[in-house]
Amino acid sequence: MRLGFNFTLGDTYDMVQRLLAERHIDYCEFLIDNFFCVDPEELSKAFDCPIGLHIMYSKFLEADRPTLVDFAARLRDYIDVLNPMYVSDHILRFTHEGRAFFHLGEIDYSTEYESVRDRVLAWQEIVGQRIHFENYPSIMDGGREAPAFFERLMKETGAGVLFDASNAVCAHRNCGTPFEAWRNVIAEARHFHVAGYRHSLVEPFISLDTHAEALAPDTLAFLRDFRSVFDKPGATMTYERDDRIEFDDIVADLKLLRELFGQPEERRHDLALSA
Amino acid sequence: MILLSLPSRTDRDLYPALMSPELNAKYPTDQKAFVRIDVSLRMYWHTLFDICPELLELSGLDGMSIFRPFMAWAGEKKLAFDWSYYLWVYAWLRQSPFKERLLADDKYLRSVMAASAARWAILDRGRDCGIVIGCADTTNLVIGWKCRSVRLGREIELIEPEEPLPAPPDIFGYFTLQSFELDLFPGWQSLAR
Ligand SMILES: [Fe+2]
Ligand SMILES: [Fe+2]
Repeated sequence: MRLGFNFTLGDTYDMVQRLLAERHIDYCEFLIDNFFCVDPEELSKAFDCPIGLHIMYSKFLEADRPTLVDFAARLRDYIDVLNPMYVSDHILRFTHEGRAFFHLGEIDYSTEYESVRDRVLAWQEIVGQRIHFENYPSIMDGGREAPAFFERLMKETGAGVLFDASNAVCAHRNCGTPFEAWRNVIAEARHFHVAGYRHSLVEPFISLDTHAEALAPDTLAFLRDFRSVFDKPGATMTYERDDRIEFDDIVADLKLLRELFGQPEERRHDLALSA
Repeated sequence: MILLSLPSRTDRDLYPALMSPELNAKYPTDQKAFVRIDVSLRMYWHTLFDICPELLELSGLDGMSIFRPFMAWAGEKKLAFDWSYYLWVYAWLRQSPFKERLLADDKYLRSVMAASAARWAILDRGRDCGIVIGCADTTNLVIGWKCRSVRLGREIELIEPEEPLPAPPDIFGYFTLQSFELDLFPGWQSLAR
C-alpha cells in the first residue's frame, strides 16, 4: 500500500516536501481544480513523486455539457503532463433548486441510480478517462444503499470507486451501513482515502467527516480487519488533512498506517537493490 | 409547530431544510434529521462569522440576530449562496436595524468584500484569473486572484484607485479578469441572485 497526502493549496507545500523527503508518504494527491491557473509544467515539477488527481468542483451531476467540456479540456492538460495514477471525483449534490449547499448533500441511491449512471458514463467519455468516484460519509439512513449502488455503478459504467474508509466508518456509525456490505467494493477498488472525523456538537451525536483530527480507533480497526482486501498491487491510500495541520500529528497517523500495511512493494524493491 | 411525519429517510428529503433555520425548527430535536440540518446550518454560520468576525460586534456573540433574519430573507429571495454570499449579507444589513452602525465604520464593508473575493478565488471554476468587486459605499476596490503558483494560495488585494471608477449601479458590482493583470475596466456586472 502506497501512502499519500492531499495537497489542496500552496500553504502546505513545504510540509508535503518534508513528508516525502522523510518517506512518510510515497505520493501526493492534488485537489486539481484548485490549481487550474497554475501552469501544468510547474505543477509537474512541484513534487518528485507519483501523483493522484482528485476533482472537487466538476459538479458533473449538475453542470451542463458545455461547462463540463470546458472543465475537462483544462483537466486534460494536467492529466497529459502529470500522468496521474488515478483521476477521482465525487458523487455529491452541490445545490438544491439553484441554491448552494455549504455542507454538501448526499444523493438518493435508490431513486437516482439511472440518472447518475448516465452522467457518470457521459463524464468519463468527456474526460476521456476512467474516473474513480468517492463514497459519501452518510448521515441519513438512505446511506445503507450506498454499497450496492457503487457496486452496480462500477459494473455498468467501468468506473472505479475511490473508497474513503473513514467515510464508511462515519456511515457505519450514523446509519449502520455494515462494513461487510462494502467488501466487494473494497476488493475492486485500488485507491483509498482515510482521515479523522468528529462528533456533532448537539445530540443525538452524528459523526462528521472533518479531516481535522487523528485517525479514530474504529477506523484503524476497520483497516486492520479488511487489510488484505484493501492491500493489493498498485493500491494507494491518501491521508486527508484539511484543518489543524500539525506535522507531528500527521506523521504519527502515517506511521500507524505504515505499521498496518508495511512498506509498499516498490520501496522494498528499492531497498533490496541498494542493500 | 413540530411535524412528526416529515420524511427523513434520505439526505435528499432534507435538502430544502439544509439552508432554512425555519424548516429546521419543524423537526423533532431528538432526531438525527434535526442534527444533520443543524450541521448544515452551522456551515452557513461559520462561513459568515469565522471569515467576518467583525459582524459579531453588531449582532452579539451568537450572531443570531443577523443570521436568522438574513437566512429567511435569503430564502425569500432565493439567493444562490454563491461567492457573493457575504455581499448579500451586507445588502441585508444595509436595510436592517443595523444600518447606522454598519455604515459608521467601513471595516464591515472591507471585510465582506474581501471575503467574497476570496470565496470567488477558491470556488470559481471558470477560466478567469481574478475578480474585481466595487461598491457604491466606497471608491476602494477589492481584487481576488486565484492560486497562480503551487507555493501560493489565492491572493486578495485592496486597491484605492487615484481615479475612482464610476460607482456600480446597484450596491455592488463586479467584473472578472482574463489574465493576472488589472488593465481594463469593462464596466460593472450586477450580482446574480
Ligand atoms: Fe473523508
Ligand atoms: Fe475523502
